[in-house]
Amino acid sequence: MLNTYAVIGLYALVALTFPFIVLLFARLVRPSKPNPLKNSTYECGMETIGDTWVQFRAQYYLFALVFVVFDVEVVFLYPWAVAYGKLGLFALVEMALFIGLLAVALVYAWRKGILEWQ
Amino acid sequence: MILKVVFLLVSLFTVGSALMVVTHKNLFSSALFLVASFFGVAALYVLLEAEFLAVAQVLIYVGAIATLIIFAIMLTRGMMSGRTSPRNDQAAWAGLASVVLGLVLLYVVVFRVQWPVVEKPVPPDTIEQLGRALVGRYVVPFEVASVLLLAALVGAVLIAREKEV
Amino acid sequence: MLNTLNVVRLLPELILLVTALVVIFVDLYARRRTALWLLPGVSIAGLVLAFVAAFAQWGAQEVVAGTLAADSFAFYFKLVAAVTVVLVILASVRYMRERTRFLGEFYAFLLVATLAVFVAVSATDLITVYLGLETLSIVSYVLTGFLRDDKRSNEAAIKYFLYGAVASAIMLYGFSLLYGLTGTTDLAEIARRLQAGDVLANLEWVAWPAVILAAVGFAFKASLVPFHQWAPDAYEGAPTPVTMFLSTVSKATGFAVMARVFLTAMPSLGEYWMALLYGLAILTMTVGNLIALRQTSVKRMLAYSSIAHAGFILMGLVAVTAPAGGHPFNGLDGVLMYVVAYAFTNAGAFAVVAAVEDGTGDATLDNFAGLIARAPFLAAAMLIFLLSLAGVPPLAGFAAKLFVFAPVVRQEYYALAVVALVNAVVAAGYYLKVVKQMFFVEVPERPAFAVARGMRWALWLMIIGVFGVGIFMNWFAFMSVRSAAGMLGL
Repeated sequence: MLNTYAVIGLYALVALTFPFIVLLFARLVRPSKPNPLKNSTYECGMETIGDTWVQFRAQYYLFALVFVVFDVEVVFLYPWAVAYGKLGLFALVEMALFIGLLAVALVYAWRKGILEWQ
Repeated sequence: MILKVVFLLVSLFTVGSALMVVTHKNLFSSALFLVASFFGVAALYVLLEAEFLAVAQVLIYVGAIATLIIFAIMLTRGMMSGRTSPRNDQAAWAGLASVVLGLVLLYVVVFRVQWPVVEKPVPPDTIEQLGRALVGRYVVPFEVASVLLLAALVGAVLIAREKEV
Repeated sequence: MLNTLNVVRLLPELILLVTALVVIFVDLYARRRTALWLLPGVSIAGLVLAFVAAFAQWGAQEVVAGTLAADSFAFYFKLVAAVTVVLVILASVRYMRERTRFLGEFYAFLLVATLAVFVAVSATDLITVYLGLETLSIVSYVLTGFLRDDKRSNEAAIKYFLYGAVASAIMLYGFSLLYGLTGTTDLAEIARRLQAGDVLANLEWVAWPAVILAAVGFAFKASLVPFHQWAPDAYEGAPTPVTMFLSTVSKATGFAVMARVFLTAMPSLGEYWMALLYGLAILTMTVGNLIALRQTSVKRMLAYSSIAHAGFILMGLVAVTAPAGGHPFNGLDGVLMYVVAYAFTNAGAFAVVAAVEDGTGDATLDNFAGLIARAPFLAAAMLIFLLSLAGVPPLAGFAAKLFVFAPVVRQEYYALAVVALVNAVVAAGYYLKVVKQMFFVEVPERPAFAVARGMRWALWLMIIGVFGVGIFMNWFAFMSVRSAAGMLGL
């Protein structure tokens, strides 16, 4: 079983080291002639306006939160779905209750206008 | 043998990232190291042949919680640049206390206790068993978890919504 | 198992869940004027139904759905919780209406918190214990920080949250040690395996960490010193009806869970946790009382007094005689007596604080001056509650103190009894300070103020409760003894 994960691990290792190797290689072969213009921040060819580190709006957070809730739901749904063939009707009712409660959360967020971007 | 080396590497990666989380001076970087640490924990779960936990770890912690933490940092005023990680006079003592307590617990857990071991391989249908347990014996906690999520969402909306809404 | 699931046993929980959902939908879809009376109305109706559903099953003895106990111990706490939350709602109708627009969420959260209490007090599995407590905690954080424009409410919520998150994590670590040692999360099964030979040899090294770490989580909920630091700020900053809830129902839940986990899962570790609780009891009542002496805000003084009372409740748990049989004064029934007496008394005292805040804007000791002239009903009610807190007969507080002192003396924990006695006297001192302020300090220029109708009902009910528990002590004692003896797995 672990062998199948060894492939993933190897892949992750390559993916993680690859950028470093490329950057290192580039540093070794490229000429180094800095000037102020080259060193300035590049943003679509325009000079940057204001600070790059701005304060974000709280709405991002709420979206992320709704996402977390339903992400957790998926994790619960998965083992239930795997076992579904051997479970009775009652399991369906239980899962319906579980999802129904989360649906209430969604309806709440919806009605309160959280899902609309202002 | 190989497994031990892999375990050692993964653990070093996890603990190292975790240390960076608490020592880095920029809170945003700390959050990114936290993501790395979460990945390390997922790898540990794989080594323990707890595949479902590994998947859940990646899906929830790396996927969702990390996003949430990063958003939370980005929307906090003045948290984005410079030396943002709070540090005070108690840091050294707190660190010392944590290390001592951690070592004591490690000593107890690793050297002093013979943990009961089930000498059986992990059954192939763990996920299915988990699914049955969720709607069987653990149906009450399962539904309470759903209530918890509902309350958490409504509560967060209540607290985090912008003023005029 | 699925087919044999006895839904009737889950009825109190289901009623609360449905009521909470109805409240949310009323809030989303009803007109504001209708919602103003419909929200508290529906909530109270749901709680009353849940009370009836729980009361009708009094005497049941079984495990439902694998992880919930339907035993008299659980029902006892459910009844107390339902009654107290009704009182909280009555007291909060005007208070919250004037302070927030989000009333639907407020009542829904109170109901979900009650549901979490119901689950936690009957949980027979570590996972259910954790989920019940965690749901209660998360809802409590939001309720504490409910007044978003009030800085103190925000500060209280943040402190409560940070403290609570760490306490939960530590408690889970303790649970994981127990699970690792026994391979099960079922409380009764843990007890069985802890006594098996191969586990027993390991116990001496794991017992202390497991007991202490698990106790941190319960002690946090019950606000025992040294896990109390969140409590004064949270109690003071939270909307006062929420403080009523936190200082009674939430605290009682901590004790209920502590009692069940320690008594059913770790009876063999009794010497460890009893020693721990012995120390915590002395520390809690002493520290709580000493700091309460110096407070100038009545709300904050009551917060510290509430910490001190947690120490008294803990005395009962220290003096549990094993097995907690059907005879009185076994300690556990002292805990139960104290919880019900304290629920009426402390909720009442905080309700008066809420009414004074409503009338004068703040709950400083100064604002209580000459209360007898400005709001005689409030002053009289406060006097009753304070006397009950001090343990004066024939009020509830006296019955409660009697039932925790008696087992402590019977177990010959004389040191504990003496410390508790000294503490009771010290506490009476600062309660009398408020009484003196209300009755003997005259401030002529301050205007009189009226008390809201819901609040008046709540206060009357609590006064009746305080006298009722004190006078019909025997009946309540009978109920406590029955439910203490009825804890499953003992």
